[in-house]
Amino acid sequence: MSEPTRSLRLRYRTLVCGLGLAGMACIGAPALADSAGILNPAPFNTTDGQQVYEHICRGCHMPDARGAIGAGHYPALAKNPALASRQFMAQAILMGRRNMPAFGAKHAVGYGGPPAVLSETQIAAVINYVRSHFDNHYKDRITAAEVAALDRNGY
Amino acid sequence: MIVDPGASVSRRRLLSMIGVAAGSTAMYQAMHSLGFAAESSFREAGPLSAAPKGASVLVLGAGMAGLVAAYELRNAGYQVQILEYNARAGGRNWTLRGGDRYTELGGETQDCRFDPGLYINPGPWRLPYHHRGMLSYCKQLGVALEPFVQVNHNAYLHSRNAFDGKPQRLRTVKADYQGHVAELLSKATRSHALDADVTAEDREILLDSLRMWGALDENYRFVKGNASSERRGYDRDPGGGLSGRPAFSDPVTLSDLLHSGLWSVLPFGDAYDFQTTMFQPVGGMGKVGEAFGRELGHLIRYNAKIVEIHQDDKGVAATFEDLAAGSVGQTLRADWCVCTIPLSILGQIPMNVGGPMAQAIAAVLYCTGLKVGLQFKRRFWEQDEQIYGGVTYTDLPIGQISYPSSRYFASDKGVLLGAYIWDQINSMDFTAMPPAERVAKAVEYGSQIHPQYAQEFESGISVAWHRVPFTLGCFGLWTDATRAQHYDNLCAFDGRIVLAGEHASYLPAWQEGAVTSALDAIGRLHQRALAAGAGG
Repeated sequence: MSEPTRSLRLRYRTLVCGLGLAGMACIGAPALADSAGILNPAPFNTTDGQQVYEHICRGCHMPDARGAIGAGHYPALAKNPALASRQFMAQAILMGRRNMPAFGAKHAVGYGGPPAVLSETQIAAVINYVRSHFDNHYKDRITAAEVAALDRNGY
Repeated sequence: MIVDPGASVSRRRLLSMIGVAAGSTAMYQAMHSLGFAAESSFREAGPLSAAPKGASVLVLGAGMAGLVAAYELRNAGYQVQILEYNARAGGRNWTLRGGDRYTELGGETQDCRFDPGLYINPGPWRLPYHHRGMLSYCKQLGVALEPFVQVNHNAYLHSRNAFDGKPQRLRTVKADYQGHVAELLSKATRSHALDADVTAEDREILLDSLRMWGALDENYRFVKGNASSERRGYDRDPGGGLSGRPAFSDPVTLSDLLHSGLWSVLPFGDAYDFQTTMFQPVGGMGKVGEAFGRELGHLIRYNAKIVEIHQDDKGVAATFEDLAAGSVGQTLRADWCVCTIPLSILGQIPMNVGGPMAQAIAAVLYCTGLKVGLQFKRRFWEQDEQIYGGVTYTDLPIGQISYPSSRYFASDKGVLLGAYIWDQINSMDFTAMPPAERVAKAVEYGSQIHPQYAQEFESGISVAWHRVPFTLGCFGLWTDATRAQHYDNLCAFDGRIVLAGEHASYLPAWQEGAVTSALDAIGRLHQRALAAGAGG
């Protein structure tokens, strides 16, 4: 972390969250099953859609975007007709959907540390990436401004 | 103990009355008040009075909540059947040992190659002394417990950006932080800056206490010397004879300490849930689920994937696939249903409940979380660094390294918890990696704290909770807002269905949340069943 003030602030927030002493950006549960470490997460700044997919989305939607099935399932993003609506995708990423975490700054929830927040630019990039890969061939693209407007005005 | 031992029969009657009248949580609390819950007579008492004749309950899920519910309902005389997705009991109460094979969502399979006796608990791994439900069930089921070391003054605090990346012992950070703060406070006190808040008489007592608390010298300074080294340790420990003269160690400066951020970890061990004494089952946390599985035997039907839950005014039916036999569409029916399926999965299963419960189920997101277990050829953390149990905290992506709390000195090899990642971006990033890469990263990062890693590493295994087929996430992530709006609706009966689990508790992720939620749910179920009479 190059900028000391910011890193200290993050660390302080980690302390407060780790002990459940205050709401701030984390859950307000009275008891946490664990305390985080001295979190000082490296900033996740990439604006490359593929990078966002591979570091964040791939965990559940899988490398081939075909989802997975166990006691429940993760939906496939490959050849998924729901992706016809770029706004639907943006809403799911901003607000979360059941066990899918929310990544919008207004909705993301951390646990013992800062939540995972993606910027409008990152969200637009990953939507455009997914909708043009994995056997998806949508031609229209979403912009960061459109994601921001959806976040402001709802879907 | 406020009641003499001879009064145990009336105590049981009293508890039974409380259980019927006020629900099992009240009874559970009353058991604590009577000093009863932690005693062996816990089982004799049981939380429920006798079941109505012929009444039946379907329990969905054989994790801690389902197991406790089924065990107590069976003991009270209910006809109980349990459906479980896995081929074992316990759910997130789970231990991976040598010879175990684990296939995560997406199909990646890992074989655990740990030596006999070594293990990793992918889920819960420690029991606070006040989680009396868990401790009581361990005792009842004959699960041996041993101390779990949470706070270790000789473990490390580590930041890449502090002290040239050199790990600091917890005891030096704690001593220096306390010492510097005590020196500043005593300075303010002696310069009369606090006179408005502290009387002249209290001032002297405060100064004495600051000197003691901070290990200050006679002039209220925190400096290199006997007092400070007695807390932070010595450069050369005191010994005997001519070679025994101690060498005192140098405290770090207040400014370096503040900028290191390492102080942020100091209060963790003071939190109620992490205070000494903590416990762990001997041989792995999974021993609890395994013991329940033996106890309940044929009542549990394994390899059953629930595909629909349907209730009417007479009872509840669960339709499931038998994953072992490959058959579909079998149905089990009972008067009542205790459903402990994680909300991440339950939200995908058709179930005819009303809007409030359905919305509550959909409102709870699931935490990401990830652990990596690493086996090493020798216990270098003990042999080279005198670290026996406890946790090292780091700002590296691995978050923590935890050292085993058992088999000290006894065996050559050992397994470390080599990564325990809560930070959301890092845990998602690790989840997205193939398992072998997670292990390789844990070794790479960990070697920045323990250079012995490279030489001594043997094998590893990782569990990323969003890839776990039976949970699709680590635990329910409530916010103040979702709890205010949905929690009561999640826990309330809907017709003949009641939910239980850590997600239906104020103890997210803790097994005690599952236990107390199950006791609360079956207490309310019992009241309803008694009111409905025989046959429900």
